[in-house]
Amino acid sequence: MIKITDDILNKYLDGELNPEESKQVRTELQTSRDLQKKFNTLKLVHETLLNLAEDEVSADFTSNIMSKIGHKKFVVPRQQKYFIFSIAAFITILCLVIFGFSISAIISTSSPPSESLNVVDTVTVLSSGLIDFIKHLFSGKGLSILGSVFSLVIIISGYFFFEMQKRAKADLGNGHHL
Amino acid sequence: MKNLSDQEIIDSVLKGNESDYSIIVDRYKDKAFSMLKRMLKSDFDAEEVLQDCFLKAYYSLKSFKGEAKFSTWFYKIVYNTALTKLSSKKRKIELEMSSVEDHFSLKSDYDSVDVEKKDLSKFMHEIINKLPERYSVVVSLFYLNEMSVEEISEVLQISVSNVKVMLYRARNSLRDLILSSKLAKEII
Repeated sequence: MIKITDDILNKYLDGELNPEESKQVRTELQTSRDLQKKFNTLKLVHETLLNLAEDEVSADFTSNIMSKIGHKKFVVPRQQKYFIFSIAAFITILCLVIFGFSISAIISTSSPPSESLNVVDTVTVLSSGLIDFIKHLFSGKGLSILGSVFSLVIIISGYFFFEMQKRAKADLGNGHHL
Repeated sequence: MKNLSDQEIIDSVLKGNESDYSIIVDRYKDKAFSMLKRMLKSDFDAEEVLQDCFLKAYYSLKSFKGEAKFSTWFYKIVYNTALTKLSSKKRKIELEMSSVEDHFSLKSDYDSVDVEKKDLSKFMHEIINKLPERYSVVVSLFYLNEMSVEEISEVLQISVSNVKVMLYRARNSLRDLILSSKLAKEII
């Protein structure tokens, strides 16, 4: 026989007791007037709470929220995506041009292959060609071109860094820090 | 459109139809407001926090993976934002101290209450507001928001058994109040 406590009555109300326990509670409820009174009141509380009306927010609540959301988007704008893609493509092409130019420079500076040239000689010729190319790149006209390219890359990176900072600040302002 | 599931509406919002978010707002605003009102004990604070919650949820929609129901995810935001608001009012310590193990009694506030059956709903509204915050949140989520104890435990980050303890205590407390009122004679 189970002892009919407040917890048991609550579980009975929620239908959480097994059939045997439920039967015992039902029998007890039929015999004890005090328990019946307790259970009926608990049931009344439960039913009243089930029919409790919701509180209502002000009439313009939804329109206020929607106006605050406004034109802000949480997705990366398509325009920005294209811009990032074009910068990546530009850097890739630049690398390919430098690589291709260095290869052609190496080939043009190396002497025609001869049968007497061994592996050590080939490496020496290639490395001297590479050194000549780098010297050419960092001197006079080559240096100014390189400087311009790097400046352009730095300016573009700076712009994106600034945009990212602005975006992060805006997100924080909107409470986007869950 | 209004019959769409939460997930379908969210998908539509994420595709760029941001105006569809108003359906979500309309769907949850009153229920969440009722919960916040009971936690913060102020209509003004409740509405202000609720606005903040809807904006937070909107800007975090991308991070909602659909592992839990949207309502559970959203009420978690609501509950945590309300806690932050309470802490800014220096009430968080009070709240945390009122753990599940603490007992409370409403009897001292309503010693000789004369409640009649027709006033019961109004009286219940008033009494729920007097419950400790976490208890009134459990009652609101269970009855107004029709959430299961499992979902409530996820929102409040406490065990299912603790949710049940809180729900039972809140009910028992309300029952005892009614039993000590005139209404008890009608029930017998």
